[in-house]
Amino acid sequence: MRLHRRSVLSATAAALGSFAIGRLANAADPVFVGVSGPLTGPNAQYGAQWKDSFDLALDELNPTAAHPVRYIFEDSQSDPRQSVAIAQKFVNDPRIIMELGDFSSPASMAASPIYQRARLVQFGFTNSHPDFTKGGDYMWSSSISQAEEQPQLAEYAITGLGKRRLGVIHLNTDWGVTSKNLFVAAAQAKGAAVTAAEGFLPNERDFRSTLVRIRDSNPDCIVLIAYYADAATIVRQIRTMALPQAIVAVSSVYSPKLIELGGEAVNGVHCSTTFFPGEQRAEVQRFVTAFKAKFNRDPDTFNATAYDTMVLVSTLVNRYGTTRPAIRQGIAEVRGVPSVIFGTIQFDPETRRVAGARYKRLVVRDGQFQLFEGGTPS
Amino acid sequence: MNAWFDYTVNGFVIGNIYALLAVGLALIYGVANLVNFAHGSVYVVGAYVGWAAITYLGTPLPLTILCVVIVSALVGVGIERIGLRPLHGSSRIAPLLATIGITLVLDQIVQLIFSPDPRAVPMQVPEWRIPLGGGTIGALDLLIAGIGLVSAVVLYGFLRFTKLGWAVRATAQDSDAALQMGVDINKVNMAVFAIASALGGLSGLLVGMYYNQISPAMSFEATLKGIVALIIGGLGNVPGAIAGSLILGLTESYGIALFGTSYRNLFAFVVLIAMLVWRPNGLFAGRRSLPPEPMTGTFITRSRPLKVPRWAVVAIIVVAALLPLTGHPYLLQIGANSLLYAMLALSLTLVAGTVGQISLGHAALLAIGGYASGLLALDGGWPVALAMPAAGLITAALGTALVFPAFRLTGHYVSIATLGIGEIVSLVILNWTGLTHGAIGLGGIPPLEIFGYDFGSVESTYWLSLVVLVLLALLQVRLLNSHLGRSWRAIRDDSVAARSYGVVGDRYKALAFGYGGFAAGISGAITAHIYSYINHETFSASISILALTMVILGGLGNVLGAVLGATLLIALPEAFRDLAEYRILIYGVVLLLLIRFRPQGLLGTV
Repeated sequence: MRLHRRSVLSATAAALGSFAIGRLANAADPVFVGVSGPLTGPNAQYGAQWKDSFDLALDELNPTAAHPVRYIFEDSQSDPRQSVAIAQKFVNDPRIIMELGDFSSPASMAASPIYQRARLVQFGFTNSHPDFTKGGDYMWSSSISQAEEQPQLAEYAITGLGKRRLGVIHLNTDWGVTSKNLFVAAAQAKGAAVTAAEGFLPNERDFRSTLVRIRDSNPDCIVLIAYYADAATIVRQIRTMALPQAIVAVSSVYSPKLIELGGEAVNGVHCSTTFFPGEQRAEVQRFVTAFKAKFNRDPDTFNATAYDTMVLVSTLVNRYGTTRPAIRQGIAEVRGVPSVIFGTIQFDPETRRVAGARYKRLVVRDGQFQLFEGGTPS
Repeated sequence: MNAWFDYTVNGFVIGNIYALLAVGLALIYGVANLVNFAHGSVYVVGAYVGWAAITYLGTPLPLTILCVVIVSALVGVGIERIGLRPLHGSSRIAPLLATIGITLVLDQIVQLIFSPDPRAVPMQVPEWRIPLGGGTIGALDLLIAGIGLVSAVVLYGFLRFTKLGWAVRATAQDSDAALQMGVDINKVNMAVFAIASALGGLSGLLVGMYYNQISPAMSFEATLKGIVALIIGGLGNVPGAIAGSLILGLTESYGIALFGTSYRNLFAFVVLIAMLVWRPNGLFAGRRSLPPEPMTGTFITRSRPLKVPRWAVVAIIVVAALLPLTGHPYLLQIGANSLLYAMLALSLTLVAGTVGQISLGHAALLAIGGYASGLLALDGGWPVALAMPAAGLITAALGTALVFPAFRLTGHYVSIATLGIGEIVSLVILNWTGLTHGAIGLGGIPPLEIFGYDFGSVESTYWLSLVVLVLLALLQVRLLNSHLGRSWRAIRDDSVAARSYGVVGDRYKALAFGYGGFAAGISGAITAHIYSYINHETFSASISILALTMVILGGLGNVLGAVLGATLLIALPEAFRDLAEYRILIYGVVLLLLIRFRPQGLLGTV
């Protein structure tokens, strides 16, 4: 914890000016949120992305806020055994008024009973598992609802690109299977056929035989429900097999890393996204510029989601108060929180999720994501 | 017909990649009698060294390969120096565990230096491709095949026809005798580790280029697939390793063709188990029986267990029972976790320590227990108080039945078989959607409640776990001191002698796995009700490794040692929490130091 406190301190210090070092930064009494997420282990990159975005948001908001926010990041490795211990730590730390995370469903949902019992809001901003917010009325999420995204994706393939026979390759996890089921339902409702649905395991690298199965089901479009790293590998192998079908992918492939890892092969890949740095909306441009200035790279969707989350936290604290009950009340009532992903955030008190993400249609051309303006699919 | 041709080509392409890994593993096993779990880490190191050389130094391909080979060879020499040489003469399991510790350390160092983000490796091989059937193969496929074949041929020639090669084989057959004949076995081992690791690092680079992607997380999968290929080809058989890899690749590819992508690994592990049961020497061995392993008295480090007086044990239990009164819920949660893991460790220390079957798949028993109890309560509508003991019994029966085919195996073969069975359980849970809810997992498992009394608070969870643990531990101590315990140890110490005295190994092993399955199943069941949500990844392979570390830390076969080991290994990472990123690194180093300086564990083996 010492390390994290130091990093938070230095971030705050940097915001106040370079002369402010160490304890000088304690201008106003800070409010603490606990973060439970992976900093080591197989998902460590996501925790690192969260930290970057949290720091950026707090750099911007804390200097002018009545109640500056700080976070205590505990490494769970996305392991349920550790996330439950962290949960006990957080619920019994009176400074902490809200919890963010964990990253994966098993880790988040294992800790939910503890947060629910202690009446501390658990905000799982990456938890798309349909049962996550059913854990209790203290479980809230701003994760994009797959029930909303998958019909959009089907729409993109069917009416946007004019495809009728869809072959689906999906990650075989709770997220991937939920998404695939919703996609299949949406596609069939729109009159298209799903010719095959192949689930792959995380860490798999070889998709050649999977692609033979997909090819032989004779689709006119391949749909990818995967994260960017796997999607890059799959697309490269689609190209080496010289499959002619159009490729459409879910928003989680949207990342500058897709292009880095996929190279020329990913040219022509279509994807829907909730976050696109090229979008002209003011919140988006402000976020992208600030992120680039601080980290010297393009942000991706995970960065944007984490940034939104910390903006929400600061808004709740400064609008509704610095106690746990105030946060619980505030999150149900809050309206119009600026958001990169949603435009503005407000929660549905029944599902405890956010509706109305803004979907953009993108296509990769010449190694760059561009807005897809219609026309013939490449 | 066309499709089958494509599946065959694809099988060869991926088998080709496994071959590079398997050859290195085979070489090391052939000489050191060691399944090198750190091989996947060397593969990762090689990939990152190559990436760094290309990115920062702009090296052309031959120079990149040279850098990778040199650095990987040095890492290999380091592994030999740290993980093998100082452990010469200690228990057979010690080097295997040391390589697991080295994996933790190496993977974490790579992750700290290069970040866990996947990276693209610039392609340095010409990109032309030859159409073949419905797909294509590229220059890199041929290069990988070429390197695999050439290295196998060169190694085969080296082992057959050179003096150092003879020394290597002499060391493999009997290192003590080789030493007496004037062979510098340390030099031989070092040379072998250097060669094997250079090959491992090179395969990391080439595979990184092949997929244009490297990440520190790819280490475990690489080790796993390499080991399966190794078993198919025959442990220590270098040309066999290549054939084994190709067969594994084909099996996976045909598995996908017949059943779909999510069955790929299931197929691979079922083949592994089938091989172990019917052809444990590999497909190419003349003999059907296992080579005689010098098992008797060498697998378990002999020591005099530390005598803990009865009053001290009572005092520890009393203190543990009073802990909730101090009012530190975080501490209690860690306590409850420790107790639940102690049940798992009890189970493993019986199986691995008392009966000598080193299991690397013990987490599967937690998964079976958790799913059994969760499904009975959730879909069957059973009360939790009945579901949990039922889950214990189900785990005992199912766990024993699953491992039954492996009973005739000994030594390393048992470890690999249990590793495979563990993966199979996890994959069956993932794929049997009708029963287990598949990838979605089990959500909304009812909380702990026993006859109307709510055990959901951390205090009551802790007390419940403590009571169950104490009962299980007392029962186990009683069993160990009985006729049954003596029979178990007799099988471990000399199975042939035991059999000639009329102690039938299989039945006693079944009893041990049955009791162990019950303890682990109860632990899994309680965990499931605490978590409220589990899926096929909740009880992952890393938990099996953790459990084994606990058991060794405490002292194999030692009941109190298992509890101590579990408590320390659950509490230590929490105590190191301040060190965030460095936690796993320290944990790995501690493990290595323990194996080196106290292989019999803290309380001694029984």
